[in-house]
Amino acid sequence: MTEERTYESAVSRIEEVIRRLDSGDAGLRETLDLVKEGRDLVEYCAAELDAVSSGLEELRLEELVTRLDRAGAETG
Amino acid sequence: MSTPSPPATPGRLDSLKRVSAGPHPTSPDAIPESELPGPYPVGAYAAQLKRRLQEFARVQLAGEVWGFRAGRARVYFELRDARGALPCSMWQSDFDALGVTLADGLRVVVGGGCDYYPGSSTSSPSFSFAVSELRVAGEGDLLVQLERLRRRLAADGLFEPQKLLSRPLLPRTIGVVTGERGKARDDVLAGLGRRGWAGRLVWAFAPVQDRHAAPRIAAALRELAAVPEVEVVIVARGGGSLADLFAFCDEALCRTVALLRVPVIASVGHHTDRTLIDDVAAVSCSTPTHAAETAVAIDCRAARSDVAALARRLDGQARRAIVDRARTLTLLSRAPGHQVARHRRRLHQLLRELRASANRAADERRTLASTHLLVLGRVAARAAGPERARRRGELERLALALAAHDPDRTLARGYALVEDAAGEPVGSAAAAREAETVGLRFRDGRVTARVVE
Repeated sequence: MTEERTYESAVSRIEEVIRRLDSGDAGLRETLDLVKEGRDLVEYCAAELDAVSSGLEELRLEELVTRLDRAGAETG
Repeated sequence: MSTPSPPATPGRLDSLKRVSAGPHPTSPDAIPESELPGPYPVGAYAAQLKRRLQEFARVQLAGEVWGFRAGRARVYFELRDARGALPCSMWQSDFDALGVTLADGLRVVVGGGCDYYPGSSTSSPSFSFAVSELRVAGEGDLLVQLERLRRRLAADGLFEPQKLLSRPLLPRTIGVVTGERGKARDDVLAGLGRRGWAGRLVWAFAPVQDRHAAPRIAAALRELAAVPEVEVVIVARGGGSLADLFAFCDEALCRTVALLRVPVIASVGHHTDRTLIDDVAAVSCSTPTHAAETAVAIDCRAARSDVAALARRLDGQARRAIVDRARTLTLLSRAPGHQVARHRRRLHQLLRELRASANRAADERRTLASTHLLVLGRVAARAAGPERARRRGELERLALALAAHDPDRTLARGYALVEDAAGEPVGSAAAAREAETVGLRFRDGRVTARVVE
């Protein structure tokens, strides 16, 4: 079972990746793999930040429930 | 305190008669065989009752509040204890001036007196204890209750589950339970704004301080937790006395919070005493603003720069990894030529050093030899002094002897030298005859002569 990715887990993993790269112990293949993984994680974090920066959306609980019910009915 | 006698009868018959001003035109006949006076108009009786009740001494009563409700101009509640109860009412304006909130079970002391609303043909009568003064009986009592409940919840292990939930650093959707018109709403927005957070905010409005508050708050929390998108919930209320916040000590509410799947951040604004929701929630904050900042634990603007910095570091590492290795490969690929050149430079250097060293040695030897020569010359000179003087004397003597045999000196004395044609001396007469022609060299020149005989 893979652990669900979260912003904090992504940041934590990026820091781990950079520590490994900084150590200079990683070989070329590992370095390239780590850099690719790190870039993916950075993109994920940037997307998460975008999602909470595009404008406050306020709604009442009843509205959200109605919206979710409607979405559920459409997909169901 | 003197206990007033109960208003068992409305009073004397005479006064009723005065009030009624004689039999009512529509007054029915009395009950046959009855010994009781009357019938009197009920309004007159009610008015008399009101007066008699108002004559009761004004006193202070202590009991627990139940069934508080606000009417148009007055608020109503019951004051109860184990032995009885009394309906109470209070002018809304007097109650508002107190600044307190009454919840079921709250112990209070009220001051006032009996009152009776006689009603009319269109309205119901009512009896109440008209309260003109009120104070909460003491937060000490509340705190005792609170402590008892706190121990019970703790014993059931309900303080832990919320603390074990993981809270997202950057939630996309936040639920908020608060009063619709309270200041807490603005404070939550201000806290989120301070974090630079602008995601989805789901409001679940509920009363936050009357006896309906606790079940409504619990219901709102359950509904929010049922929405999968909601990652964290804030329960917020502005400040108030502990009595005001008693709804947040409700046992059923606290049990609901403890077992929710989402972390709850409580901020019920009481600085000195903790409500029970503070204990069961994942986090307890002193203000709604702080609660909002806790729900979004990072500053989104700073986080954006941090992520950009991490991206730059990754790019730098990637570039360095490639460039460094490329450089190493380049060095390795030209290694033989590079090594030869390095050795050549080393050899040249050694050669220069060798020459310099040789020149230095030769110079040193030359200098040494010169020194030796000089020394030897001086020694030799010192040793050869007497010998040279002796030789010089011998030489002068030989020079004198040679000069004595010089033919020029003989010629100078007037002799002549006979020579043949070749210039060789002619030493005898026979040689002269044979030569026939001879030369005669005198002091001042040479002449040729023919031998005749």
